[in-house]
Formats: sequence, C-alpha cells, structure tokens
Amino acid sequence: MKISGACQCGSITVEGEVDPENVRVCHCTDCQINSGSAFRFNVPVPGNTFKMTGEPTIYIKTTAESGRPRAQAFCPKCGTPIYTTSPGEGQQASYMIRAGILAQRDQLIPKRQIWFRSAQAWVTGLDAVPKVEKQA
Amino acid sequence: MRIDGACQCGYIKFEGEGDPDKVWVCHCADCQAGTGSAFRINLPVTGASFRMLSGEPTIFIKTTAESGTPRAQAFCPKCGSPIYSTTVGDGPKPSYTVRVGLLRQRDQLTPKRQNWFRSAQPWVTGLASLPRNEKGA
Repeated sequence: MKISGACQCGSITVEGEVDPENVRVCHCTDCQINSGSAFRFNVPVPGNTFKMTGEPTIYIKTTAESGRPRAQAFCPKCGTPIYTTSPGEGQQASYMIRAGILAQRDQLIPKRQIWFRSAQAWVTGLDAVPKVEKQA
Repeated sequence: MRIDGACQCGYIKFEGEGDPDKVWVCHCADCQAGTGSAFRINLPVTGASFRMLSGEPTIFIKTTAESGTPRAQAFCPKCGSPIYSTTVGDGPKPSYTVRVGLLRQRDQLTPKRQNWFRSAQPWVTGLASLPRNEKGA
C-alpha cells in the first residue's frame, strides 16, 4: 500500500510502500519519552521505496532498551518525528515511519504491540475514559 | 503534585506542579501528527511553578489547530522530544501543557478525559485484545 505524509509545518514530506500487516505499537520507554505520549505507532517502509523531501535532523540514540543504536529523524522547524532507521550514510534497508504523520493513518491498524512490559497501565482501558467529541 | 522530566537526550530538563486530575488525552489531528502517534497525553503545569532547569527548546507556532487557537509548541532541538505547548508571546505564561510521556512520574498520571474523540483512531480503545510481546519482536 502506498503511503505519504508530512510534518506539521510541511518542511518534510515522505512517501513509500508499506505492508499494512506490519503496523505496530511500541510501548518502550524511549518511544514514550520521544513521542511525549504513551506509545508510538510505526510502520516499516523498505528503503528502495522510500522518498523524502526536506532535511530532517538526525539524533542517534545509543541506549535503546533493545541495545541497538538507532538514527531518529525529526523536523528541525516543527519537531515532528518522521522515522527511525539504522545509523550510517546513504539509503538504509528500512525506515520505521511514525504512522501518526501519514495521510493514510486511519487505514493503518496496528497488528501487534511490543515492549508491552512498559505499557502505561491505563492504555488498555481507554474505552472507559470520558470522551468529548471536540474539546472541554 | 510535583513533576519533573527530561527530553530523550537530556539537554532539556524542567519541573513544576500539576494536578493529576487534569491529565487528558488529545486525539486531534495536530496531536497525531506532532507525536507521530495516535494521541498526546497532556498535563497542565501552572506558569508560576514551571521551571526550565536546563536547555533551550525550539518553539514552533502552530496556527492551524482544529480549535483555531495558535499555540507555541516547544521541542528539543537536539533529539526532537516534544516538551510542552503554551500560548503565543514573550515572557512567562499562565500555564504550560506538558507532554506526559517524558515525565518521570508518568506511571502515576492516568488520563481523566479524552478530547477531540471524533478524530480518535478506531483501534485505540481495543488495545486490550491486540497481540502483545513483553519485549521487542
């Protein structure tokens, strides 16, 4: 499936091909801190289909819970997270795109959640939290 | 309740006071894009108690929020971690809406309300039945 997305300010756009079966939620503490939320929601894009305009800032995270260094890309103007990939020059094998920035995000349903041991306790109970259609 | 937090790379550190009954989830489209995730979790911290202990965030002024209110969004220029949003302008503000995921006390901050539920991702209320791995996969 073809996907496309942009950061909040529009400086960075991405496109590529994904398999919707590979969408996942990650509850690791790095994803909680770097999203400022409870988890991330990711989809891998093969490097040979991935295209980008604009120039993200790369932060190399070396203390991931998994132990692997990762290159995290975000927009230097609006801070929107774009992807993570393996560190190094040139095209990488795969880019883990942050699904929240994609135009097709409503069609990307997570199939698995990982690092559930650090999931926020309330995250499986959102149906019972009072809901407002707009804001209150 | 006293809260403190730091961005992922440690450049930005801050502290303040927030009321745990005010924690909310925001499902608006801006929060989905700004986190790259499904929603934000927010806690208002009073301006009088909010202190930046280290670092200087980059400010992005978002003018097209669904609510129509322009907001100043702060993030770490080195690692991109979102820090807070507040009203636009110079000087101290009455309130800072802090991103709960980067607080050390996040495990104690349970959302009491969900805003902009009309744009919530349909699967967010079904995580209890989604297959899970305790670690990575």
